[in-house]
Amino acid sequence: MNKKSNILKQAAAYPHIVWSVLFIIAPLIFVMYYAFTDKEGRFTLENITSLAQPSYLEVFLRSLCFAFLATVICLIIAYPVAYFISKTSPKAQKILIMLVTLPQWLNFLIRTYSWMALLEDTGIINTILESLNMQPIHMINTPFAVILGMVYNFLPYMIIPLHSVMSKLDNRLLVAASDLGCNQFQVMTRIVLPLSKSGIISGITMVFVPSISTFYISQKLGGGNFDLIGDTIERQFQTAYNYNLGAAMSFVLMILIVISMAIMNKYSDEDGGVIV
Amino acid sequence: MNKKNIACNIYTVLVFIFLYLPILVLIMYSFNSTDSTSVLKGFSFQWYKELFTDSATLNALKNTLVLAILSSVIATLVGTAAAYGISKMQNKYIKNATMSVTQIPMINPEIVTGISMMLLFVFVGTIVGTSSSLGFGTVLIAHITFNLPYVILLVLPKFKEMDRNLPKAAQDLGCTPLQSFFKVELPAIMPGIIAGFIMAFTLSLDDFVISYFTTGSGFETLPIRIYSMTKKRVTPDMYALSTLIFVSILVLLLISNLMSDKNRKEMSKKAKTIAKVSIGSVFGIIGIVTIIVLAMSAGTKTVKLNVYNWGEYISDGGQGSYNTNKEFELYYENLHYEKTGEKIDVQVNYTTFASNEDLYAKLKSGAGGYDIIVPSDYMLEKLHKEGLIQSLGKVDTITEAIPNLQYLNSQFKDMFVYPNENGELELYGAMYTYGVVGIVYNTEKISPEDLEKIENGEMGWEILYDQEYMERYKGQILQFNNPRDAFGTAMYHLGFNVNTASTDQWQRAYELLQKQKPYVQSYVMDEIYNKMESGEAALAAYYAGDCLAMAENNENLGFFYPKNSQGVFETNIFADAMCIPTSSQNKELALAYINFMLSEEAAVANAEYIYYSSPYTHVKDNLDYQIYMGYCDYVYVLDENDEYVLDENGDPIIELDENGNPIIEYFEDGDYSVIYYEEFENSLGSMFNSYAFKDLDTTVGASITTQDLNGYWEGLKVDSGSFDGTIYIICGIILVGIIGFAVYYIVITKKRRKLYWNNSPSAPQEKAEEKDDSMSETVMIAAVKAEKKKKD
Amino acid sequence: MNEEKILEPKGVTNGLQNEHKKIVELIDVAKSFDGEVVLDHINLVVKEKEFMTLLGPSGCGKSTTLNIIAGFVTPDTGDVLFENVKINDVPANKRHVNTVFQKYALFPHLNVYENIAFALRLKKLSEEEIYERVEEMLAMVNLRGFEKRDVNLLSGGQQQRVAIARALINKPKVLLLDEPLAALDLKLRKDMQNELKNMQRKTGITFIYVTHDQEEALSMSDTVVVMANGKIQQIGTPTDIYNEPENAFVADFIGESNIIDGVMLDDYKAKFSGHEFECLDKGFNKNEPVDVVIRPEDVDVVPVEKGMLVGMVTSVTFKGVHYEIIVDIDNFKWMIQSTDYVAPNEKIGIYIEPDAIHIMKKSEFSNMFGDYSSFSDELERLSDTNEEENEEDE
Repeated sequence: MNKKSNILKQAAAYPHIVWSVLFIIAPLIFVMYYAFTDKEGRFTLENITSLAQPSYLEVFLRSLCFAFLATVICLIIAYPVAYFISKTSPKAQKILIMLVTLPQWLNFLIRTYSWMALLEDTGIINTILESLNMQPIHMINTPFAVILGMVYNFLPYMIIPLHSVMSKLDNRLLVAASDLGCNQFQVMTRIVLPLSKSGIISGITMVFVPSISTFYISQKLGGGNFDLIGDTIERQFQTAYNYNLGAAMSFVLMILIVISMAIMNKYSDEDGGVIV
Repeated sequence: MNKKNIACNIYTVLVFIFLYLPILVLIMYSFNSTDSTSVLKGFSFQWYKELFTDSATLNALKNTLVLAILSSVIATLVGTAAAYGISKMQNKYIKNATMSVTQIPMINPEIVTGISMMLLFVFVGTIVGTSSSLGFGTVLIAHITFNLPYVILLVLPKFKEMDRNLPKAAQDLGCTPLQSFFKVELPAIMPGIIAGFIMAFTLSLDDFVISYFTTGSGFETLPIRIYSMTKKRVTPDMYALSTLIFVSILVLLLISNLMSDKNRKEMSKKAKTIAKVSIGSVFGIIGIVTIIVLAMSAGTKTVKLNVYNWGEYISDGGQGSYNTNKEFELYYENLHYEKTGEKIDVQVNYTTFASNEDLYAKLKSGAGGYDIIVPSDYMLEKLHKEGLIQSLGKVDTITEAIPNLQYLNSQFKDMFVYPNENGELELYGAMYTYGVVGIVYNTEKISPEDLEKIENGEMGWEILYDQEYMERYKGQILQFNNPRDAFGTAMYHLGFNVNTASTDQWQRAYELLQKQKPYVQSYVMDEIYNKMESGEAALAAYYAGDCLAMAENNENLGFFYPKNSQGVFETNIFADAMCIPTSSQNKELALAYINFMLSEEAAVANAEYIYYSSPYTHVKDNLDYQIYMGYCDYVYVLDENDEYVLDENGDPIIELDENGNPIIEYFEDGDYSVIYYEEFENSLGSMFNSYAFKDLDTTVGASITTQDLNGYWEGLKVDSGSFDGTIYIICGIILVGIIGFAVYYIVITKKRRKLYWNNSPSAPQEKAEEKDDSMSETVMIAAVKAEKKKKD
Repeated sequence: MNEEKILEPKGVTNGLQNEHKKIVELIDVAKSFDGEVVLDHINLVVKEKEFMTLLGPSGCGKSTTLNIIAGFVTPDTGDVLFENVKINDVPANKRHVNTVFQKYALFPHLNVYENIAFALRLKKLSEEEIYERVEEMLAMVNLRGFEKRDVNLLSGGQQQRVAIARALINKPKVLLLDEPLAALDLKLRKDMQNELKNMQRKTGITFIYVTHDQEEALSMSDTVVVMANGKIQQIGTPTDIYNEPENAFVADFIGESNIIDGVMLDDYKAKFSGHEFECLDKGFNKNEPVDVVIRPEDVDVVPVEKGMLVGMVTSVTFKGVHYEIIVDIDNFKWMIQSTDYVAPNEKIGIYIEPDAIHIMKKSEFSNMFGDYSSFSDELERLSDTNEEENEEDE
């Protein structure tokens, strides 16, 4: 009786399971199908092997580097901010976190587009610099601009998980650490840092994955001079009409992300207690 | 301590400035009195007014809202049920499997989710045999799919947190299981459901990437509209809309924050009611909007016409111009009413693409359902060959279907005409515009001697490709972001036929482009507007009409037609034509649209708006048009001070000749003479023969195909060009640092553990309750002993 | 200084003999948070090897006092002396004081060994030395073999031991314990009380112990400091505190007591409840109004005719060792503990020995406590304060 009703209750999940099979698993199978077939539908490894060309390898390497740097910079910027916010009163925290998420309500395309107006050679920043009689800086269409765009767009994804871990951090642990002889700095490195590990990891994931696959930011702020994976994939589907190559690239991208996450998870599972 | 706090504050403020800087810029430009995004001229509200007349943007906003509401409601329902089911699952493996699959869309990059769904839809589309599989339905499915995991992950913990005995208690008190679900369990998980719904709603509202890959004809969400806008220029009414959205969200969040700031205990009933009412009214408004939208579309019969055109390629009603699509809607509604007495609602869904290749890819992806597309010559040829467009009618009788084609310049009479199986000639494209590619330059950025050369007509393609010039204008050259045009410019420079069959020549053109890449600032299509107008770039080859349009906004921009190395004008001439895709469901309406576009009023308005050459005599010879394009002007009566003499209406008086006709004077340097360049005008037919792009697959044969060209293009695009490798070095250093730290960390942990790790032979990590009992027992014995001692 | 003198009547001293040196001294320390006075100019002397308990209800300032000694809170005024050196500006991490926190505050990311070794690692001692000392501590708290256990998976008692070991490894001169047993269940709490006391004797470290549990305070301490409203109400040995409460608050807070309004007729003669009693107290003005404290166990139930006072039994509760009887005498509800059963609504007489009567001066707390008519309410209030206290400390 009980078991029967429980099975009935489980049935509530069936629509979702069916949906997942149809629209999550099946599409991924298609990605693999296209990745391993040619235009006529014959099995081939050519799509994958063609990615081994130096130029494609560099695209992957470049994307990895950009995403990596963007993630590191996000972490460095976000960490103190999140800590500082978590130290304010609950009311202030709420408002500050709201202010962090607020920009996300505006479409990222238009926010990135306004960075163009800021960064261009004749843009706002350089105009201001010139009016101050300073040397204008060439920023747009450089890797700097692209990474800045990534950092800008994904910074809240780093601040939010960090803050949510830190705000739950038991203040008594910090007090206990200083009681046992830690100075401010040691409290940070020995207590706050290891205890915010889960926030760091989810922040890294939430910044790294969109950074490595973005195409809009690199198109707008990078000028399309150096491809990232996202650009290359997008072009296969929207312009070049080469689904097979695009699918192969997506497949490799997925594997890259799985590997990166596995490495990170392994590193973070590495139990241990000591830092510095 | 205090100093540190100040430093903290300054740092945080700086980060917030960083986060809000672009938004400030955006708000600033929304009040700008010109439509430039690089110059601030003055304060005005005009873009806010404009916003409410921009039907395309409003329509996109409506689409976005409808999509967000529908997808989040469905996702919330399915997701909540799923969370319930999952929480009841006993089999660990099934549960884990379900959860991991659920999380895939969260972990997968958006672009992969987008293309994977697109591939599925395209595949299903080809199996079912419809060519219009992509559209609202597919976007909705995609949105539900990526919303689901968030709903589940927000609701599931609520089920887990819920006291297991809660439903039992309810049933104990007399609830039926169903009642207990609705009265006890549902309220307990409600916060999770609401959080899930809001999350899904905002995700759906903001999504661009997934919609971008899964949408088809006629369904444009706000982010997609912004995307196509940012390719050319974002009209400030979009800034105005963003500002409005931003401000309303800010207000809403502030209110909700102030509400929840008050402790719930302290919160008065009144405040609670206000909160409830305001939340209710927000949902109510959303609901009402949906109902109105649905009702509006249900009221009268709606006929939709999906038009897919180049960006900014039509007079769209912006800044008081002629609103072609709206005029057509009215025109056709009246026409239909007069004919049949039936009231219908005509809706033109107007979306844009950036290049022929984009158009082709979109059509091939199953985004059928377009009724009008506007490909260029070579693409039209290709689409015809692949059977993707249908005949507009037999050439002999075409003026019956599209009367305004009678005004077509006779030089173009044979274009886009193909024989059918019976040998009869059929027209496949009604010419919209034609044009020539030239070079636009910024006089302030070009050296004086080069400027002189240009003015003397001695400059040709070398300005884009010779080492000397490339060095001089390094980083200031823009190149076409589509293979045909980019290769075209290289081949004209090299003196090859752009449709050459020689693989060697293609290879040489490719190498030339590769050589040019490090000097190129950017590969652009419509983005060129922004970059040239703002003075970002010095030089670019582009379509003459667009170049003139740019020059309207920047007086320093000049334009010339390049000559080849032999000193002969040699550049691409192209024609864009309106076609009806095979999959169109509404040919009659489409033909009416084409005819309307070619009617004098609409055609002149469009020609004036987009500055491209018109192949229609009633446009080219239209006096207003000629005046507008600076070809000629009336001679006005002037007084002794050289000022206009005005008539009673305040208009200047025109001088008349002896026959009472106005006297007209002609100029040689106007835009008109540029786009109807005299040297070209009489030999347009032969120019098309020698310089227009042809579909490689049909004309050249096996030696080089579109696919090969795409291969070259792909090679060029992924080429690193002048990419500076220092970023790799920086990455490497950081990575080495991290790895070094990790190694140090592991080594030191090992070292520390060495001493004690083996002390506890087996360290069970499960809860040590049992052991605890024995422990406390020993303690107890000790305590008892101690107590005894005391007593003694 | 004046106040201290007033609070310390003759004959009542700290629990330890005077030969022990002062180790911690608070002089005129005051602290307020957001305008609310938490500590109202208190003076306190802690001596070496002393087990001192700060006892009081929540919000009395005992935790703040502890935090001031530990260095987590800086006093608004007054001085904190450690071995006669002013340490107001010495940060917590430089003080020779360690703390066992309420709910332990163990570092969840470190295992048992690393938690205990934490302070030593900061001192950059060699691994071998750390190992030796950690093992020594583990042996002391009976946790050998638990080195690599995850502290989150330990039971409450085990976590408690780790917390103590962690605080003691630094060999502090003073160990502060902030309600360390509050989170344990009753049985374990009793065990740990004994263990703590033993540990203190063995190590000879000064313990300053904060609790709101009077039984805990009485059974463990050398000296009990009763606090209320940010002031010290009484300092003394457990016996003094119990037998000679300074005022109604102390009398009520420590154990059960009947506090009755009375008048001191003369030395050794008091009048309350309409009856004159002999007592052992003197030194009051004639006819001075006083509070009279009588412990429930000191009241004998006698037949009506033999009773000094006569009252009506309103309720009787069996408590195992004795009956708890509420008796209405002149509309004042007395609590009496007796091994003999009496029936409710029965008239009984009560008899009080002179040495069972303790006379106190009137204070701000007079008339606030002592009547058992609202007994259940009072219980509720007590349990409320416990909860609040927990919340506050979290």
